[in-house]
Amino acid sequence: MGFSTLLDILGSIIIGGILMSIVFRLSDAATEKTYNNSGELALQQNLATIAQIIERDFRKIGYCANWNKLPDPTKAILLADTSGIKFLTDIESDGNLDSIHIYLGPTSELSGTANPRDRLLYRVVNGNVPQEANLGVTQFYMNYYDALGDTIYHPIINMGEISSIEINVTVENVAAYDEKYSRAYWRQIRMVARNLRNR
Amino acid sequence: MSGKAVLIVVTGFSFIFLVVGQNFGSISNRSVDNYVDYFNETIAHNIAVSGANIAANEIHIDQSWDDGYDDISYQNGELDIEVNIIDPYQNIREIVATGEYEGVSSTVRVILAPSKFSKFAYYSVYEGGSIWWTNKDTVWGPFHTQDYMRVYRHPVYYGKATIKKKLIYYTSKKKDKPKFYGGFEKGVNLELPTDGVAKLELIADDNGYKFTGEDTVYMRFELDTLKFRFSYNDPDSAVYLPTIAPNGVVFAKNSVVRLSGTVRGQYSVGCSGSSGKGNIYLDGDIVFEKDPRIYPSSTDLLGIIAKNEVIMTDNVPNHSDINIHASIYCESGGFGAENYSSRPVSGNINLLGGIIQHTRRAVGTFNQNGIASGFSKRYRYDDRLLIASPPGFPGTGKFEIVSWLE
Repeated sequence: MGFSTLLDILGSIIIGGILMSIVFRLSDAATEKTYNNSGELALQQNLATIAQIIERDFRKIGYCANWNKLPDPTKAILLADTSGIKFLTDIESDGNLDSIHIYLGPTSELSGTANPRDRLLYRVVNGNVPQEANLGVTQFYMNYYDALGDTIYHPIINMGEISSIEINVTVENVAAYDEKYSRAYWRQIRMVARNLRNR
Repeated sequence: MSGKAVLIVVTGFSFIFLVVGQNFGSISNRSVDNYVDYFNETIAHNIAVSGANIAANEIHIDQSWDDGYDDISYQNGELDIEVNIIDPYQNIREIVATGEYEGVSSTVRVILAPSKFSKFAYYSVYEGGSIWWTNKDTVWGPFHTQDYMRVYRHPVYYGKATIKKKLIYYTSKKKDKPKFYGGFEKGVNLELPTDGVAKLELIADDNGYKFTGEDTVYMRFELDTLKFRFSYNDPDSAVYLPTIAPNGVVFAKNSVVRLSGTVRGQYSVGCSGSSGKGNIYLDGDIVFEKDPRIYPSSTDLLGIIAKNEVIMTDNVPNHSDINIHASIYCESGGFGAENYSSRPVSGNINLLGGIIQHTRRAVGTFNQNGIASGFSKRYRYDDRLLIASPPGFPGTGKFEIVSWLE
C-alpha cells in the first residue's frame, strides 16, 4: 500500500511536471509571438505613417498657391543627397513659400534604444526646431533621376536636373524579443512632383 | 476526481488558446486594415490625379471646356471633376478633381493660366537643317522647337525643354546627352500662330498707336517718349507714349521699322507686311532704362514683334556689340544679322530676353580661330518673362499649368 502510494505520488509529480513544463513553454512562446506580432503591427503602422507623410510632402515640392512667388519651380529643390532633401513648398496653401528639410539622423542619437540600427527621421519646417520621430527608421535612402530617366550621381550640383526621385524606407522594431527584429520596407520607385515640370 | 482535474486542465488550455488566438487574430486584422487603408488612399489619390489629367487634356483640346464630370464610375471608384474660372479677367481656371474609393476621398487642384510665347527663352519652328546645339550653348529659360533637337557634347538647358520631334545625338547619348536642368518632354506640339501679328494690330487699333502708309518708320525710344521719322534725313517727331499708346502697343502696318533707344515702361513694337516689309531692323542698342539684373524691381518690358524678320543692321554702331533687352518674335522669319557672312567681326549680341522665331537664322560665321564675321552670342533669359509679358504679345492659344496641388 505504501509502495503503491509512493508510485502514485511519483507519477503525479512527473505528469504534473510535464504539464507545468508545457504550460511554461506555452506561456513563453505566446509571449514571444504576442510581442513579435504586436511589434510587427506597430512596425507596419509606422511604415504606413512615414509613407503617407513622405508622399504628401514630396508631392508638394515646388507648389505654391501664389505661383508668381515660385515662377520657376525647377529651383524648388535646395539640397538633395542620399539621406536628406530640402525643398520649397507651400505647406498651408496660403500663398507663402515654406521650406521643408527631411533627413535621417545618426544611429548614435538613439543609442539608448535596444535596436542598434534605428535612427531619428527629422522634418524641419522653415528652419525651425526639428521635429523628430523615432519610428524605427533604419534606412531612408533616395536616388535621383534626370529628365531622361538616368541616375544622377552624387554629389548633385544642379538641383534643377532632378526630375524624379526613388525613395527607400526601411523600418525595424525599436525593441524586439530576443533581439529578433522585424523589418518592413517601402519603396516609391519614381516619385514625380508635378510642379517641378510645370513650366 | 481525476476526471474533474482533466476537465479543468482542458478548459484552462482551451481558454488560454482562445485568448491567444483572439489576440493574434486581432493583430492580423489590424495589420491587414493598415495595408488596406493605405491601398484605398492610394487608389483614391490615383483616381483624382487621373481626373486632373483628363480635365487638363479636355482643356488642351478645347480651351472653353468647363463641363466637368459628375460622379462618374472610374477604376471601381468615383470621379468628380469641376472646372472653375477663378479670374475671368486673366482667364485663370481651376480644375478640381476628386477621387473616391471605398469611402476614402482625395482631391487634386490644378490652376491653369493662358500661355504666351514670351515665356520662351528660345522657340523655333525650323532649326535650319544642320545646326547643332553644342557644349558652348546654354539656354537659360524655357525652350521649345517644332523641329529635331540636334545636340553635340552636352549643351545645357536651364528651363524646361520641349520638342515636337526627336532628340538627335551627334555621336551617341553618352557623348552628347544634353543637360536638362528644367525638365524635358518630347512629342509636344506647339505651333507658331499665323495671326499673332494681325491680332497685335487690333490691339494697337483699340488703344495703342499705329503708323500706316509709311514705307519705313524710324523709331527711337527715349524712356517713355517715342521719337520717330519716316526717312533717314527727316527731323524727329515725338510722342509721349503713356498718353498716345495707353495699352503699350506701337504698330507699323505694312512697313519696315528701324528701332533703337532706351525703354521705360512696358511696350510692344509690331510690324506687319510682306515682300520686304514686315521687318524690324535694330539700328543700335534697344535696352531697358532699368536692367532687371541691376534693379530687380524693374518693370520695364519690351516685345519686338515682326511678321517676318528681326535683323541686326550692318552699321557702325552695331560693329562693336549690340545690347538688346526684349522678347523677340518673328512670325514667319527669324532673328539674324544683316550681311552675317560679310560684315566685320561685330562683337557680342548681349540679349536679355528671348527669341521666338519661325526659322533659325545665322548671326555670324566662325573658323578655327573663332568668329570670322558677325557676332558671338551672349543670350540671357529675363526670368520675369515667366510671369510677365509685354503688352499684346502673341499667345500660344493654350493654357499652361502653373500650380498643381495634390
